Amino acid sequence: MRKKLTLFILLGWILLLIGDRVDELRVYQGAQIAMYAIALSSIVLLTGYSGQVSLGNGAMMAVGGYAAALTLNNLGGPVWFAFVMAVFVSALFGAFLGAAAARLSGPYLAGTTLALAVGLPEIANQFDFLGGVPGLLFDVGFPPERLGEEFTQYKWFFWIATFLALLSLFITSNILQSRYGRTWRAIRSNSLAAELSGVHVGRMKILAFTISSAIAGLAGAVLAMTISLVAPGAYTLALSFALVTGAVLAGVSSLPGVVFGALILVAIPEVADVLATRWGGDENLNNYLPGLIVSVLLILSVIFTPNGPGEKLKSRHHKKG
Amino acid sequence: MIRKTRVKGTWLAATVLAVGSLFATALPAHAETGVSSSEIKLGITLPLTGAASPGYNKIGNAMNAYFKYVNDNGGVNGRKITLIQKNDEYSPQLSIAKTNELVLKDKVFALVGPLGTANYTSVHKSVGIAKRGVPSLFLNTGFSGFGNKKTYPTSFMILPSYAMEAKIMAKFLKENYAGKKLGIVYQNDEFGIDGLGAFKAAGTKFDVSVAYTSGTQSAATAQTWVSQLAAGGAQVVVFFGVTSATAPLLAVAAAAKYAPQWILGSVGADPLTLRALGVPLAVLNGALTPAGNPSPNDTSDEYVKQFQEINTKYNTGTAFDDYVLQGMNIGLMTVQALRAAGSNPTRKGLISAMENKGSTFASVAYSPLGYSKTSNVGHTGYYMAVMDANGDRKPFGGKVTLYTTDSGSGPVVVSTFKRPAMPAKGLPNN
Repeated sequence: MRKKLTLFILLGWILLLIGDRVDELRVYQGAQIAMYAIALSSIVLLTGYSGQVSLGNGAMMAVGGYAAALTLNNLGGPVWFAFVMAVFVSALFGAFLGAAAARLSGPYLAGTTLALAVGLPEIANQFDFLGGVPGLLFDVGFPPERLGEEFTQYKWFFWIATFLALLSLFITSNILQSRYGRTWRAIRSNSLAAELSGVHVGRMKILAFTISSAIAGLAGAVLAMTISLVAPGAYTLALSFALVTGAVLAGVSSLPGVVFGALILVAIPEVADVLATRWGGDENLNNYLPGLIVSVLLILSVIFTPNGPGEKLKSRHHKKG
Repeated sequence: MIRKTRVKGTWLAATVLAVGSLFATALPAHAETGVSSSEIKLGITLPLTGAASPGYNKIGNAMNAYFKYVNDNGGVNGRKITLIQKNDEYSPQLSIAKTNELVLKDKVFALVGPLGTANYTSVHKSVGIAKRGVPSLFLNTGFSGFGNKKTYPTSFMILPSYAMEAKIMAKFLKENYAGKKLGIVYQNDEFGIDGLGAFKAAGTKFDVSVAYTSGTQSAATAQTWVSQLAAGGAQVVVFFGVTSATAPLLAVAAAAKYAPQWILGSVGADPLTLRALGVPLAVLNGALTPAGNPSPNDTSDEYVKQFQEINTKYNTGTAFDDYVLQGMNIGLMTVQALRAAGSNPTRKGLISAMENKGSTFASVAYSPLGYSKTSNVGHTGYYMAVMDANGDRKPFGGKVTLYTTDSGSGPVVVSTFKRPAMPAKGLPNN
């Protein structure tokens, strides 16, 4: 545990050094990678460990994003409190939802969460205090002055996002290696056998949903920070699908894999841009290509490596070892 | 133990991968971002697709057509202008992503004509437009908040603010419709509230007031607006919203045989777009609207005539409407600003050129420009126009009566300002 903590602190330190040495677009993308890494870890916990398939992670992120923005805009106070509230409110929401989800499984659960991903962000359009289509501002403020004139807004986002990503991954990895992680895996492998050996399956599933939602909520708040606002258009169905694809590519039950998955999600628009430019530079093509790439990657991955390329590499590694 | 080491190894590998990819680029060094010996790179974000795109999607191509015309005639001090258009689908988060691409990746010299109030508010904050010193000229939004030079030191408006528009409408209502029952439908965000606040300050009292949330406009919601207006007996209805909301409002009201005197805010009143959205000509006939520019069909106007010629040659197949006129005019003003910035333009030079010479630029709109060292306000006035049975608009009362004002508590006055002449052949020589 102490060794792992040292490792995480070391990683954080390396990332901060790098943040100083790359151009700003990369710094911004670094913050996005951190955001996606948090979001993907919530899927790893929920799907990879407890075996519950959710297509509604974008909606849980929306809950976190709106909770953070409403907290900061209405109560003021330090920014960290907004992030804490994002985690807390989405955990509460997740617990409520988990109670329903624990009674469902497989395609039924997927269908329910899919409906949530479609419907929930649209609720913002119906209530004025949620700001409608333009959304609400979420302004974490300028970086502290003592960091110097040269310290940009994006570097500030990168610092906050990286810190939160490392913190949440550290906590998640500890939870997954604990008794809870083992119990979830037991449920995923065979819920009947788990129940016979004394596991309260329903309660454990709700717990998984709650923690996963809390993590997704944090990711939602980080996303809101990087774009300075929350709006229904930020938490689309496309985001939920992109996250599922990222998780599958990462290897659904591999926590370190989330960094790889996050990297791919940030790289896709870049690749799309290069391809669109090569094919004539049509801006519309550029806008639709990322979605196409996500879909194709998901289909290819399900056909050839149902547990994700990461998982396949790992099993090869295991066989060799 | 072996497993633990392996897990740590995977963590390390994953991070190294992330780090490696971050290192994959380096910054090239050059004199001024976006300016080379042969080219000036500019960027714009606007909705090219999606619900809000009708009309707006023409602005970028119109600007491009004008720039091509200038490029074919020698460019700006020998440099050709390249305009990079990015589609943000009117979504603020896409605006940020696309502006990031423009500023950090494409490294444009300046932004010209970025569109949308919520979009530009979040772009300005997140991308750090002011902090980076990126000039952002001729915003396609009339939110009076952007006229705050302290918060937006590198941004310059072009449209008169929504507050100015509402003040001018208020004066017009008082002079022409005193004693009538007034109604208003407005978009419940910065845009509509900007206008509503100005009406209140001017002492206009609405008997019926209907607010709608942006994005909820449809035939079904328009039904509720119309029943509220009709139930309240509103005889004159002011509409302060976007075109995609004007269309269902007018169509539903016509179907319900409810025909008040419509006064449509400039944002939601382009006749061509309204007709494309299914509003019959007969309904538009007689509707009033504040207008800043001459009608795009008025070929007796030297600007309109020149722009129409450029449109025919460089924007083939596009109908010449208010949006095309606006796009071309932004192009004309951009070229004047670039010329005013000198033969080796810098971002700082461009901003000070706007501050020092911007108010003298030729522009199609009738009202004076408010640029100065302490103001980034663009045009400052409107005249009232009436739509006719052909879908055209004519000045109310037969001739242009120009009202000018500010976004604050200043009075609304009738102006005798004479706009500068169109440069010869539409090519600035300032």
